[in-house]
Amino acid sequence: MPPEFLDVPTLLESSMPRPRINWFLYGLGTFLLIVLAAALLGRQSQTMNQLVQDASRLAMILLMGGLIFATVFVVRRHRAEQQRIEGVSELVQLRRWEQAAMLLGAILSRPARSHALRGQALIYLASLLARYHRFADAIAVQNHLLENELVDPPTAYGLKLGRAMAMLREDHLFDADRAISELRRAGGGEDSAGLTLIEIYRDVKTGHPAEAIALFEGKLRVLRDNLGHRVADAYALAARAYDLLGQENEARAAFAKATLLSPPGELYRRYPEVEKLAARFTPEPAPAEAA
Amino acid sequence: MTAQHAIHRFRRDLTVASLLRGLLVGTAVMCLLVGPRLGQRFDHVLVLTVIGAVWLVLSFRSAKGSRLAAASPSLIAAGEFEAAERQIDQALRSFSLFRTAKLLSLHHLAVLRHAQRRWQDSALLCRALLGQRLGGLQSLSKPARLILADALLEMGDVGGAYQAIQGLYRHRLSLAEVLNLQLVQLDYQSRVGAWGQMFSQVMSKVQLAELMPATSAARCQALLALAAQKLGRNDWVDWLRRRAELLADAEKLVEEKPLLGGLWEGRVEAPVVPVAGA
Repeated sequence: MPPEFLDVPTLLESSMPRPRINWFLYGLGTFLLIVLAAALLGRQSQTMNQLVQDASRLAMILLMGGLIFATVFVVRRHRAEQQRIEGVSELVQLRRWEQAAMLLGAILSRPARSHALRGQALIYLASLLARYHRFADAIAVQNHLLENELVDPPTAYGLKLGRAMAMLREDHLFDADRAISELRRAGGGEDSAGLTLIEIYRDVKTGHPAEAIALFEGKLRVLRDNLGHRVADAYALAARAYDLLGQENEARAAFAKATLLSPPGELYRRYPEVEKLAARFTPEPAPAEAA
Repeated sequence: MTAQHAIHRFRRDLTVASLLRGLLVGTAVMCLLVGPRLGQRFDHVLVLTVIGAVWLVLSFRSAKGSRLAAASPSLIAAGEFEAAERQIDQALRSFSLFRTAKLLSLHHLAVLRHAQRRWQDSALLCRALLGQRLGGLQSLSKPARLILADALLEMGDVGGAYQAIQGLYRHRLSLAEVLNLQLVQLDYQSRVGAWGQMFSQVMSKVQLAELMPATSAARCQALLALAAQKLGRNDWVDWLRRRAELLADAEKLVEEKPLLGGLWEGRVEAPVVPVAGA
């Protein structure tokens, strides 16, 4: 049976960094042995003493050279792995999902060079899994990252936002609501565009369109300034909320703005609830080359 | 700290650190080569130990400076300019045996001045940085050139900006650098009236603009709309202008780039907030 594409338990296990060998103790032991041997040999004769001194100087130079070479080698390998992960980040941003998935699969199928690099790769894995609508797997990766404290606090906040969104997509509404409350308590809720977007989605999904619209209208500037083109998501959800309230003109206007900023297919893929508007409203036309 | 003072201090510290490094390494080499020949009168092992200890202490002090320098980019990104200024000031004043901490601090100061819209200071700092041998920090030259080009454009030095941009084509750029370059390049081309070049491969440029933060994305698409207007591509003008309007306030865009005023001439501004009743 062929292995599953981006199999989460396998990748989590295979990417664990190898336990470090304590070279310091080996080095210390070898050094003591050499010192003892040199002391014993040096006592035998004047010539031997001179020979030991010359050998010590040569060994010192070789050791220094070896250390420099080893450091350069380790730094280069570390940098190469970091560049590969940055490559994944760029592919994700450029929406080249398949290439990103293949590269990420290759990176995570081998032990990472450090926990920090593994953490970075797993963050991209979670976003890729969400892209492929494998929300349960995405939540598993996000939980792994958060429970093992593999990320710093600001990144953890972003991960929790992603996890809350994945929970909503999986219809884990109770868990999602609890996650949103936690995020709000964690601070930054007032100005967090990501959290506002999730709250709007929750309200649309749970049939509270008036609350969704109140949030949208009150925080549109924050959403616009922080989400960039992804503010299209907020317009799309607002369009659905207006539609649920029977405000057709407002729904049409918001839908037009959403589709002006983002292709309709992309919006339906992210929020299946918005697809219900497709039959009634026409997406904003784009120039022929852009369509 | 003024730009001139920072550059003066940076150059002086680099010279002192380089002299000190040379002195320590030279003494160590002399000890190894000549020491044993001087016999009992000269304890070369003791001198080597002292040199090693001094090197270690200075390395720890340098690491402290590097830590200070590393903290400032996140402060600049968060808009905490005063805290970033303090951090960079400390990093520039602290002694470092190695060039990297000083080069990074100077680069961060250039980024900070750029974020503060102090174009002249930013350009001076970038020029001072690019005039140095960057060695392992060669990757700094790309963001420094981008900041320099943008600062020079803001100061009206179109020729200088062209020179700075030209240097970038020899390098492989990251996605973030490509996005910055596109914005600077569009700004430059709009100033020299290269509308055709601006509009070529427009869809690729639009796709890259979609990855930018809101204000940059809006400016980029507004500049493309202006190029489309100059070329008579009215289908694109309307589409791009309306996208820009959804991402930033038109008045602010025009205030920052008066050239964009032509896009909104004679048009009644549609309020961006709120959407209800639009």
